[in-house]
Amino acid sequence: MTLLQAKDITVRTGAERLLDPVSLTLPAGRAVTVLGESGSGKSLLAQAILGTLPRGLVADGELRVGETKLDPARPQGSRALWGRQIAVLPQEPWLALDPLMTGHYQLAEVFDLVAADPRPGRRAKADLAELGLEGAGGKYPWQLSGGMAQRLAFAAARAGGARITVADEPTKGLDSDRRDDVLALLRRGLEGGGLLTITHDLTLAAGLGGEILVMQGGTVVERGPAERVLTAPEHPYTRALIAADPAHWPRPDPMPETAPLLRAEGFTVARDGRSLFAPLDFTLSPGQILAVAGPSGCGKSSLGNALLGLLPHQGRLWRDPALPKLAFQKLWQDPPAAFPARITLAEGLDDLLARHRIDRVRVAPLLDRLKLSPDLLARRPGAVSGGELQRIALLRALLLDPAVLFADEPTSRLDPVTQALTIRLMVEIGRESGMAMVIVSHDHALLEAISDRVIRLTPI
Amino acid sequence: MTFALRTLAFRLLQAAGVALVVGVMSFLMMRAMPGDMAFRIAAARYGYDLASADLAEAVRTELNLDAGPLVLFGQWMADLARLDLGRSMVSGLPVWEEIAHQLGASLQLAAVALGLSLLIGPPLGIYAGLRAGGRFDRALLVAAAALRAVPQFLLGLVLIVVLAVQLRLLPAAGHGDISHLVLPALTLALGLAAASARIARDAMAAFAASPAHAFACTKGLSDGQVLLHHGLRAIAAPLLTYLGLQFVLLAEGVVVVETIFGWPGIGHALIHAVFHRDVPMVQGTALVMGLSFVLLNTLIDLAVRRIDPREVRA
Amino acid sequence: MTTRHLGFGLLGALVALALIGPLIEPLGPFKQTLLRALAGPDALAWFGYDHLGRSMFARLSQALRLSLTIAFAATATAAALGIFLGALASWRGGWLDRGLSLLADSVLALPALLMVLMMGVILPSTPLAFWAGLAAVQWIEFFRLTRSVARSQLASPAVEAARLQGFGPVWVFRRILWPEIGPMLRTATAFGVANAIAAIAALGFVSVGMRAPTPELGLMMVELLPSWREAPFALLQPVAACFALLLSLNLIAGGRE
Repeated sequence: MTLLQAKDITVRTGAERLLDPVSLTLPAGRAVTVLGESGSGKSLLAQAILGTLPRGLVADGELRVGETKLDPARPQGSRALWGRQIAVLPQEPWLALDPLMTGHYQLAEVFDLVAADPRPGRRAKADLAELGLEGAGGKYPWQLSGGMAQRLAFAAARAGGARITVADEPTKGLDSDRRDDVLALLRRGLEGGGLLTITHDLTLAAGLGGEILVMQGGTVVERGPAERVLTAPEHPYTRALIAADPAHWPRPDPMPETAPLLRAEGFTVARDGRSLFAPLDFTLSPGQILAVAGPSGCGKSSLGNALLGLLPHQGRLWRDPALPKLAFQKLWQDPPAAFPARITLAEGLDDLLARHRIDRVRVAPLLDRLKLSPDLLARRPGAVSGGELQRIALLRALLLDPAVLFADEPTSRLDPVTQALTIRLMVEIGRESGMAMVIVSHDHALLEAISDRVIRLTPI
Repeated sequence: MTFALRTLAFRLLQAAGVALVVGVMSFLMMRAMPGDMAFRIAAARYGYDLASADLAEAVRTELNLDAGPLVLFGQWMADLARLDLGRSMVSGLPVWEEIAHQLGASLQLAAVALGLSLLIGPPLGIYAGLRAGGRFDRALLVAAAALRAVPQFLLGLVLIVVLAVQLRLLPAAGHGDISHLVLPALTLALGLAAASARIARDAMAAFAASPAHAFACTKGLSDGQVLLHHGLRAIAAPLLTYLGLQFVLLAEGVVVVETIFGWPGIGHALIHAVFHRDVPMVQGTALVMGLSFVLLNTLIDLAVRRIDPREVRA
Repeated sequence: MTTRHLGFGLLGALVALALIGPLIEPLGPFKQTLLRALAGPDALAWFGYDHLGRSMFARLSQALRLSLTIAFAATATAAALGIFLGALASWRGGWLDRGLSLLADSVLALPALLMVLMMGVILPSTPLAFWAGLAAVQWIEFFRLTRSVARSQLASPAVEAARLQGFGPVWVFRRILWPEIGPMLRTATAFGVANAIAAIAALGFVSVGMRAPTPELGLMMVELLPSWREAPFALLQPVAACFALLLSLNLIAGGRE
């Protein structure tokens, strides 16, 4: 049975076409997944179908939901379907839920106002119990964990009785541990209904199965059954996307232990008088990569900052006294925040060269090595893409000849292909120059793929 | 519970700070005045009619007035700490008694003005915020900016000239029946409405652009339901907080507007006291204004906390 | 952007009137020609005469000069004091920060007009009282602004990066803090000057500000109010000047920021 049929959907802004014609059909019980990076047009496709395009963008094509015919050019018509026929699972549910209302009411109001259920409170209670959220009804969204907020949003989105579920980047901002929960949640939506998922997450796409559409630059470059597309990709872009998955990265040669740069014994960090994680023993030799994993909030970043001397630590930490202060450098999770916002990158770089009397001729080869165009430096940090900016941050650090680089979630805000490039360059340069790295990430596959050793923090 | 305690502790400190600033200023006022300090204090205690050279001399010995400024300052602040404000130098009545009379009239005026401004401002702001960037939004922005460029005394002047003198719709000044209240309250309300419209508009526009708004819509709620169940909640907290801070503006407006319209409130009394260099009354009115601000903001803190229980990080 | 230029243009014209006006007009603000009371413009008094036969042009330009001088002086003092204390509080933290914040919160509860009135009793001259009273209230806005921007910026990765790269506090202030605070200061300064001008006029209007015969906008309005039927344009002049001054400053401050 076909629940939703979209034919030749396009999106334009003025005369410029942002999305080339796409057709898709949502059958009951079989997932359809649109795979692509940011800027590929995958979110535009979802918004055109839902009627939620931002002002100034115009959709066109034919759309049929159940028995209702809709005109994508007139999105007002879709409004009546929201909640009742199409459930929209929000990106980053902890932001989408009303922060000023307890969980129970956010769910109950949908049963009451949308489904016109005579006993909305009872239905809400039952739904919460079914999803393992008994305790969440009286709590506000910001008191819930990411996973609980996701389940609550799922329940609220579907409480209006919709059979079709549309999920836009449902794993965005979630630890990889949570991915299986999301998968289970989406499978529930699939039971007897239709599911359209927009994602860049290959693991999620593989788990959902069904049909996959791969998008790049506003065009569907490849489509077919999930098993075929993910195992035998035909288009070069699909191949690049799959190669960018950390699970498929080539492993670097292991780096032997040599005279260590730093040694930690019984090492931990305290906040408000309490240790954040159980004491650790480790050493770091030149060129080695030490990975730090653990649930969010367990002190991964604090560990790295304490190694750099930015935070006080407990236990013993020996740092090679021959190393100057500048030999300890860092990369940040949010690249734009790590630069002065109101001066150009070149101005900042010039100040750095002047401050430490660094020879200017070193800049050009590094730009080349990091695959950066010199023109970028004339811009302010806000006008450069995250991937490029993170590589400029790396360049800035490399000019100071660091012996230890602490990278705090350096690629968590980057697209998969950009992430793969950035990490590959970091690892290569580290091996060439003997720079040791401490990398924090929530992506276990990534850490396993590149590190010489993984430390798992256990909170106490 | 801890939040309420922390709020109270902070507001108590603030109240003490207000009293300290007012006390220091009043002491300096007392010392800056020409003539004999002992006589002025005698006048402040017993009223101008009763104060005599003998009484002044008695005060001088009793209060040790030749003791030097630090001791005198200590005594002044000790009186203030016991909330002993003395007597008006003009009427001879205790300051508290005078203020108790006038405060009621001022509160009446302020409450009507505030209510009126809330009827005008936030609805316009909400409407503009829902269509941020639209024609109505821009028109409101221009109107609010123009209104901000008209000081309250000028607005009062315009209203008097137009409504009272030209059209003869309302009495220009006086106190008594409800018609006397309209012009001063409207004068105050228009300025406040411009401010609250802007806050409501910004808060509403922020909510309309938030993922929480988008999700409330895609859950299937209608525009009206989204506004009623989620929107009003979202703008209530910033609006209340802002109103608390705007109390200073209201107090300032009360001072000017009461004087122009001859409304017998605390602002009128303040101007009167300054004119006659009646320091105990100036101190009393200043203290009441400052402490009202603290009290109002304490209540608002607690109300906002009920609406938005998120922990505000310092 | 265009409304801001409009504001600067309007303010420039008014400042020019205040600076140049008294230099080129022949009568001076106090010379009375009672026979010409409330008369229209002539070759000597370009904007006509007031109820005592004094030149409106002379009085208006002097009044503008007085308001602008006091307002700019008060706001400049408040800005210097507030920025210095705000930077100090966020840099040193601890008791100094708490003490200054409490002082700011305490003064915040007191209306600016009240502060000016109390200063008026303490200080011997009225302009001095306006300057001291307004500065005593306005420093808080600059203090809070500087403190909050400095606190959030000092905790940012950009400042952490600067430290790791060996840059000192001067560089952090010049390259990170100042570029963030600067634009906000323009808005705060414009509002500060506007509030000061409104306060001077309001107190003049209710007869507890500048004293007659000093030409001052609020005082001129209340003096000319009784004769508004005979000479509406005389009354309109200080009203329009006051409105134009406040409008220009509001336009400079920007719609919403």
